[in-house]
Amino acid sequence: MEANEFVVRMEKITKIYPNGIAANRDVDFAIRKGEIHALIGENGAGKSTLMKILFGLEQPTDGTIYLNDERVTLSSPLEAISKGIGMVHQHFMLVPSLTVAENIVLGMAPTKGGLFIDYKEAVRLTREYSEKYNLFVEPDARVADIAVGMKQKVEILKALVRGAQVLILDEPTAVLTTQETVELFQELKNLKEQGFTIVFISHKLKEIKELTDRITIMRAGRSVGVYDTDTISEQEISRLMVGRDVVLRMDKPESVPGERVLCVEDLHYINEWDKKMLDGISFSVRQGEIVGIAGVEGNGQRELVDILFGLKVPDSGDAMIDGQSLIGLPQARIRTLGVSYVPEDRMTFGVAQTANIQENMVSDRFSQKRFNKGPLFNMKSLYDESDKLIMDYAVLCKSRSQEVGMLSGGNIQKVVVAREFSSDPILIIADQPTRGIDVGATELIRNKLVELSRAGAAVLLVSADLNEVMELSDNLIVMYNGQIAGYFDDGQWDDVMMGEYMLGLKRQSDEEIRRACHA
Amino acid sequence: MRDKRMVLFGFVRGAAAIALALAVGTIFIFLSSDEPFTALKYLLIGPFVSFHGGVTAFNTQNFYQVLAAMIPTIFTGLAVCVMFSANQFNLAAEGCVLVGGFVGALVGIYVNMATGWHAVICVLAATVVCGLIMLIPSILKVKLGASEMVTSLMLNFVLLYIVLHFLNYHFADRSKGATMTYPFLDSAKISSIVPGNSKLTWGFVIALVISFVIWVFMYRTRWGYAIRMIGINESFSLYSGMNVGGTIVLSSVIGGMLSGMGGSLEVLGRYNTFVWRELPGYGWTGVTIAILAKNNPGLVPLAAFFLAYLNKGCQLMSTHSDVPSEMIDIIQAAIFLFFAAEQFLSGYRQKLVVKTTREELMKAESLKATEGE
Repeated sequence: MEANEFVVRMEKITKIYPNGIAANRDVDFAIRKGEIHALIGENGAGKSTLMKILFGLEQPTDGTIYLNDERVTLSSPLEAISKGIGMVHQHFMLVPSLTVAENIVLGMAPTKGGLFIDYKEAVRLTREYSEKYNLFVEPDARVADIAVGMKQKVEILKALVRGAQVLILDEPTAVLTTQETVELFQELKNLKEQGFTIVFISHKLKEIKELTDRITIMRAGRSVGVYDTDTISEQEISRLMVGRDVVLRMDKPESVPGERVLCVEDLHYINEWDKKMLDGISFSVRQGEIVGIAGVEGNGQRELVDILFGLKVPDSGDAMIDGQSLIGLPQARIRTLGVSYVPEDRMTFGVAQTANIQENMVSDRFSQKRFNKGPLFNMKSLYDESDKLIMDYAVLCKSRSQEVGMLSGGNIQKVVVAREFSSDPILIIADQPTRGIDVGATELIRNKLVELSRAGAAVLLVSADLNEVMELSDNLIVMYNGQIAGYFDDGQWDDVMMGEYMLGLKRQSDEEIRRACHA
Repeated sequence: MRDKRMVLFGFVRGAAAIALALAVGTIFIFLSSDEPFTALKYLLIGPFVSFHGGVTAFNTQNFYQVLAAMIPTIFTGLAVCVMFSANQFNLAAEGCVLVGGFVGALVGIYVNMATGWHAVICVLAATVVCGLIMLIPSILKVKLGASEMVTSLMLNFVLLYIVLHFLNYHFADRSKGATMTYPFLDSAKISSIVPGNSKLTWGFVIALVISFVIWVFMYRTRWGYAIRMIGINESFSLYSGMNVGGTIVLSSVIGGMLSGMGGSLEVLGRYNTFVWRELPGYGWTGVTIAILAKNNPGLVPLAAFFLAYLNKGCQLMSTHSDVPSEMIDIIQAAIFLFFAAEQFLSGYRQKLVVKTTREELMKAESLKATEGE
């Protein structure tokens, strides 16, 4: 293949973040001129990082980028834009209080006499591009008032007006209705015919099959292959996407489920963009078992966990701990009911970065009597508690007074887990407990989870790491599109089968799914 | 290794900010003065040294004055520390100092008790009133989400005009030419701890003691801990089960109490009647001090000393040379700028981070290699 066909070539891209997470490892990625190229992979596979590098938002630690066979460094989005690369982010970067036209010309507005914005010219420009590329928008409407589908068109126009030749779309259909998706695809095909090159990031196999010419599949920071879309089946894509690098085997004692601890009944939740995120979810978790929730990110897991820990209120349905509803309770109450929670976003919810390890270890229990002497802290008992946790969970640090933000990702997670697992919980909600951390920490956390469940705790494990849910779970729920697509309690599952349920190719019957309630 | 480098970075950054600020000040002195060296001499060592009659000696009175000037600013510095620690940009310390002084004065004038407790009652009254005042911006913040920065800033002027109203129409001593209250009873005055006219009162000792108490509160009690955690990461605190709203209110009330205490100690220690007719400015100084002290109550006296020293130096400089005392504003503004600018020397910090990460990665790799992975 001639090299000059490629409008973008990224070679041996490696990206190591300052916290030590290697998001990309020796990734090769190339796009032909005028194609729609799918970039697919599980969350955390490194697609977003790769595209951020291409858009100048992140600097690669290693590797080279060629645009039209010319080696370039893209040190900022401004530079990427000037070289003809445009990106439409999943969360729109628009100013809601300005009109469509104003948003489109923002930062490059045509002026009258160099001082005042020529609004008429902005509208004219918007109309011109809008007609030229068949992207119909209302130039005078305020962005706050328009539908999501139109906002996306505004984003695309924004990129086109700035001279983009290569358009990166980050999960563009995640926020769209079916009708809007159909429309978007038509528009994208149209753009392709006019010679634009499009990178399409998605999890949705059907869309990729329908729209794209070629596919790059990523897994765990590496590219696992480039294919022509029509030569590869959906099953095969799913296998490559979620397939396992190393088969991990956990030797765990047999689970003896006891009473139901968590009961979730018919939860419905519609998000702020009117999208159904939870559509009638019912299941239960019993003492002594680990229930895993598998699924591609964005199929309702986030909302489910947020509701269970009081961060969101469902539109209907209930969730109960030992028969008491936890809907609408503050976190402090949920914790006293015996729930502990390992949050997915550990930097926001798990730790206070600039506080030290000891301070982070006791954030849920510092007001207990044993840590206080009258009005003062009993420093010795606080120090003893954190030293014990540091030992038990093998947190690699210089001392308990080290700042948590200075630890590696794995050790930060150990701090979170040490706190959450040591409060004698009756229910542990572990949301992506081992994402992005090293093997040692991962193993420790998994072992502790099994240990606690066998000691009688109910564990709800949500993980995008298929390997992890498959090995750790006693019973397994697959979520797709806000619903439970399958419930498995026989331990007989493999990645191919999971992939099919996760990507919506298969669904169990309602009776089979109802078993998840153990009613 | 990371830790040591970062701590060192903190010191380097602090020293560099002060040095740069002084350098900027020096440039202005050289630009505006015909006798820059005399000016610099008074600015830098004037507060310590007396040059009277050609004899160089330790200047006790000037030095006492520097310490006396720290009394109100230590309190406002602490107040702002506590509020900033909870990530509350509450600026009402300014108004609270004024109200605290006024309330202390009124109790000192109209409550008649000829015992040593009088002064204590005055200060306590001021403390309580100002604590209650701070409920306004903090409850507005917690219940309605109103920006505490805006409400507290506006509140300062509301408080100023309320005080002026009461001063003008209810408590003014009509026998005097200027608007002022009647004199305080002697029992209400805060007495000096040193001879002379420096106004270095027991307030200074109380300020140091309270600094220690607030340090203990912030670092050794559950409430201080909650304040600090909420300030660092509110989501984390909420999720850990802390009472975020209540703690924010608590931090503001403590800030108000400290400001009120400082205001009353200042008024009762320095003056004979209440004479403030505008915001005294100690609240703003408190913000500078809190930033210099990095919200650590233990460092507040040090930061207050630095500013008081600089202030005195500038005052001496303007008396003894041709440099205007406004210079201090330039230098203060410069320090403030360099400290407040998070990005100051950030390139240097980034280099340190990258260097450390690389080393750790190499170590990890070599560790893996020896394990035979």
